[in-house]
Amino acid sequence: MVAWYGGALLLFGAAALAPVAVRDAFLLDALVIMLLWGAASAAWNVAGGYAGQVSLGHAAFFGIGAYAAALAGARFGQSPWLGLLAGVALSLAAGGIIGYLSNRLRGPYFALSTIAFSQVLLIVASRWRGFTAGSEGIPVPFRPGFWTLGLGHVAWVYLALAVAVLYYGVQVYLERSRVGYQLAGVREDEDAAEALGIATRRLKVVAITLSAALTSVCGALWAQYVGFVDPFYVFSIDLSIRFALHTIIGGIGSALGPYLGAILITALETYLRATFSGVRTGFTGIYLIIYGTALIVVVRFLPEGLTGLLARLRRPRAAARVADRAHA
Amino acid sequence: MLTLEGVTRRFGGLTAVRAVELEVARGELLGIIGPNGAGKTTLFNVIAGYYRPQEGRVLFEGRDVTGRPPHEICRLGLTRTFQIVKPFGNLSVLDNVMIGSLTRVTSVRSARADADRVIEVCGLAPYAGARARALPIGLRKRLEVARALATRPRLLLLDEVMAGLNPAELAGMVALIRRLHAEGLTLIVIEHIMAAMMRLARRIVVLHHGEKIAEGTPAEVAADRRVIDAYLGEEFVLAEA
Repeated sequence: MVAWYGGALLLFGAAALAPVAVRDAFLLDALVIMLLWGAASAAWNVAGGYAGQVSLGHAAFFGIGAYAAALAGARFGQSPWLGLLAGVALSLAAGGIIGYLSNRLRGPYFALSTIAFSQVLLIVASRWRGFTAGSEGIPVPFRPGFWTLGLGHVAWVYLALAVAVLYYGVQVYLERSRVGYQLAGVREDEDAAEALGIATRRLKVVAITLSAALTSVCGALWAQYVGFVDPFYVFSIDLSIRFALHTIIGGIGSALGPYLGAILITALETYLRATFSGVRTGFTGIYLIIYGTALIVVVRFLPEGLTGLLARLRRPRAAARVADRAHA
Repeated sequence: MLTLEGVTRRFGGLTAVRAVELEVARGELLGIIGPNGAGKTTLFNVIAGYYRPQEGRVLFEGRDVTGRPPHEICRLGLTRTFQIVKPFGNLSVLDNVMIGSLTRVTSVRSARADADRVIEVCGLAPYAGARARALPIGLRKRLEVARALATRPRLLLLDEVMAGLNPAELAGMVALIRRLHAEGLTLIVIEHIMAAMMRLARRIVVLHHGEKIAEGTPAEVAADRRVIDAYLGEEFVLAEA
């Protein structure tokens, strides 16, 4: 269990100082997106990394949050903050239900059931024209002000940073607390955890529900920031995979991992898009190739992700000593 | 302390445990032996709540625990270990044991102190920081016992914790079990190898094809015709013991 306080301080500190040093809207935009993706991946990590419930349907909760915030403004003329809260409530319910229903499913079967769930929501959102505007998507009205979440780039950086730091704190709590240890037990071996007095089923539902609510907040903020909600994007499997991928590449089950993964992937993607767009449009899909390659490289050479690599670089001898003793 | 009343567990057409009656007194060390497939582990799974019996009841300290989930039974004071050890492989030995302790104490700090003590008792102190999956089998069996002990059971079910150990490890495990018993813990020990069990338990129950075919002191059981038949070809093992 590695929280990497120093690394987190460096990373979040740099993000906090960035708006002071950088005025370029393109870079600040990339930073906001990185922080939001990092937070959403951290939310995924709560279920996938700490509780071992690897979901490939977290776009469902992201989409619920995005739609709730967008509809609050576009349909009801309410503050997106209220939409955000409604999204959290809906995601708590959805997370609880899917967690309960898929309780007995393990490994790939759990992942499949989460995909099915997000696909159902995609169909609902893209067909329910009267309410969600269907497959056309919803433009989010921009009204300047904090209450209406119409913010400038600098304010967005700090808002996204606040969420990112909060989620980092949630993960650190999950590493240090009683419930964190118990979740680790569930992740490593459910039968053994159950034998040791842990209510494994209830704990899994709690983890999925919490993860769902946290993901939903990111969806709501993302919708306000980007200004448009497209059902085929917010409920897509691509997005679900993205959360998982950031976390796996950064270091699954570590608090800093999702942020490192999000930064690396988003930076690469932003750079490649900027470089290969325009005339050389033949390269528009190249970031997908980068995704795939990065995943293969990580799974093959760094199964514990970037944080695992950092840990190995920092204390190779200590690790070797422990191993020697264990084999003695 | 533990009473089984006519416990039967079937899997399709196969009756793994048939109408087993069992009574375990507080402070006892009961051995359960039987050839492979006799239903020993199935019986543990029924007692610990992993399988619901089709017939019969399981009473722990006078309370009917039949069909209760394993974590509740553990919290009542009855913990089991697994024959095929199930360590939390990516966690350290200390973390493994702490997860057991945290069932009884809420603060992580006191769980650590608690786990340190259990690790010491089980002779795992030199490996407290090692990853569980890096341990050789002898130590993993010890870890299995340590983790269960950390939940502070009043009745501990040990499922073949001596199988696969070399003679030195075996002696260590026997000493550990004797010590726990001397400190007042009630134990039920499953073992496939009879020799070790003959030295350890005062009373032995023999299962064969899911049925209890004999019960008594090691000497009585070893002289029982049905036991010798069940263990056909292993008479020399009994003689040795």
